[in-house]
Amino acid sequence: MRWFTFFCILLGVSLFQSTLMNWINIGSAAPDLYFPLVIFYSFLADIKRNTITNWFVGMSKDLFSEGSFGVNSVFFVAMGFFVWSIRGILFRGHLVTQVLVTFIFSCIYNILYAVHTTLSFHSLSLSATIWTIFICSLYTAMIVPVLFWIFSKLQPTQQFFHQ
Amino acid sequence: MRTSTPSFSDILKNPIAAIIILLAISLSFLFLPPKISNHIKMTCVVPMRPLQWATCFCSNSANNFLDKVFSGWRNAHVKKQLEEQVSQFKNKILEQQDTIYKLQSKLYTLSKFQAENKSKTKPVPADIIGYDSLTFRKSITVNAGSNHGVKPNDIVVSNNALIGKVVSVSGGSCVVQLITDPASRIPGRVLQTREQVIVEGNATGFCQLKYVPRWAKLKKGDDIVSSDIGGFYPPSLPIATVVETEVKGGDLFQSVKVLPKVNLSKIEQVLVITK
Repeated sequence: MRWFTFFCILLGVSLFQSTLMNWINIGSAAPDLYFPLVIFYSFLADIKRNTITNWFVGMSKDLFSEGSFGVNSVFFVAMGFFVWSIRGILFRGHLVTQVLVTFIFSCIYNILYAVHTTLSFHSLSLSATIWTIFICSLYTAMIVPVLFWIFSKLQPTQQFFHQ
Repeated sequence: MRTSTPSFSDILKNPIAAIIILLAISLSFLFLPPKISNHIKMTCVVPMRPLQWATCFCSNSANNFLDKVFSGWRNAHVKKQLEEQVSQFKNKILEQQDTIYKLQSKLYTLSKFQAENKSKTKPVPADIIGYDSLTFRKSITVNAGSNHGVKPNDIVVSNNALIGKVVSVSGGSCVVQLITDPASRIPGRVLQTREQVIVEGNATGFCQLKYVPRWAKLKKGDDIVSSDIGGFYPPSLPIATVVETEVKGGDLFQSVKVLPKVNLSKIEQVLVITK
C-alpha cells in the first residue's frame, strides 16, 4: 500500500467534502465521501494498515467539521475493525456487496453519531433524523461504484479482491 | 531466565496494540477542553485554507457562469412581462420619492447620533471557503480571522439577517456555527406577538422554536427577530419565518418549525460583526 497515494486521496476527499458538496447534494441528502474510503481500506488492507488509515480518515473528518474532536476517528476505527473482521465471509469483490456493506455500516455510523449529538444537545427530532440517516446512507452507498473505481485506479486492488 | 522488554516499534507491530494506542489518542482528544481542541483543529487545517478558498472560488465562479447562461435563456421569455412591470414601478417610484425626502432627514439625525456615539461594532466582509463535512453539524468556514479583528462569539449576518456566531478563530479564517446547527440556541422574539422564544437548530434546513406557550397565537409567516436577553446578540436582527405550528395533545409548549431568513446553502459572502 502506498501511503503517499492514500494521503493524496484523503486530501482530495477532504477538499471535495468541505467545499464542493453543494454541487452533488440532492435536497437534504448529502453523501459522505469519507465513509466509502473506510470501507475500501477495510476490504483492502490488513488489520494494522486498515486501523491506521481509518484513524487518519476519521481525524481528517474531525478537522473539517464542527463538534467533538476525535469522535469520528473512534467511530471509523470501530467500523473499519468490524468490516475487516467479517470480510472473510463476504464476497468483497462484488459491487453489490460493496454497496450493501457501505449502506448498512453508514446507517450504523450515522445512528451512532446522531445518538452522540442528541446526548450532547437534545435538539434532533426523531423523524427528521431517521429520514436524514436513511437518505444520506443511501446516497453514500449509491456513489460507491464510482468512488471504488476511482480509488482502485489510484490504489490498485485487484490482487486483494481476487484472493 | 531473562526476558527483554519490548520496544515501542515492537508494540506498534502488534495490531491490537496499534488499535488501542490510536483509540487512546482519539479519546484523549475527546476529553480535551473545547478551547484547546478548537485551537488544535484550527492550527492543523491552516495549510488547507488556501486550497479550500481556491476550490470554493472556482466552484462559485462556475456556478455564477452557469446561472448567467441559464438566466439569459430564461430572460427571453420573461422580458415582456418585466417591461410592463417596469413602467408600473416607475410610477410607484414617484410616489415613494416624497416619503424618501421625509425619511432622509430622520436618517441624517440618526447617522449624526451614531457618529457621535462611535459605534463599538465593525462589520468585516468575508467569503465562505468551506462547509462542515458532517451530516449532523452545520457550520461554515470564512476567510476572516483574528488578523481582521474577529473573535470567538462575534455574530455573523448575511442580507441583514442573523446566520450564526463565530466559534473558533485562526489568523486568516474562522469557523461559524450556523443557526441550523444542533448546538445553536438564540434568544428571539416573535415580531408580531412579542412572545419570547428560543430558536434552536436541528441539523436540517429548518430551525425549531422552543418554549412557545400553547396559548401563543403564532401563524404562518410570522417573523422571528433576535432579542437582547442575555446581552449576547443585538436586538431586532431578523432570524427566521414561521412555516408550521402544531399543538400536540398534552404538551406544555407548541411545536413550531421556522425557516431561516437566508438560504444558508446558497450564501457566498457574509458579514462578521466584530465587537
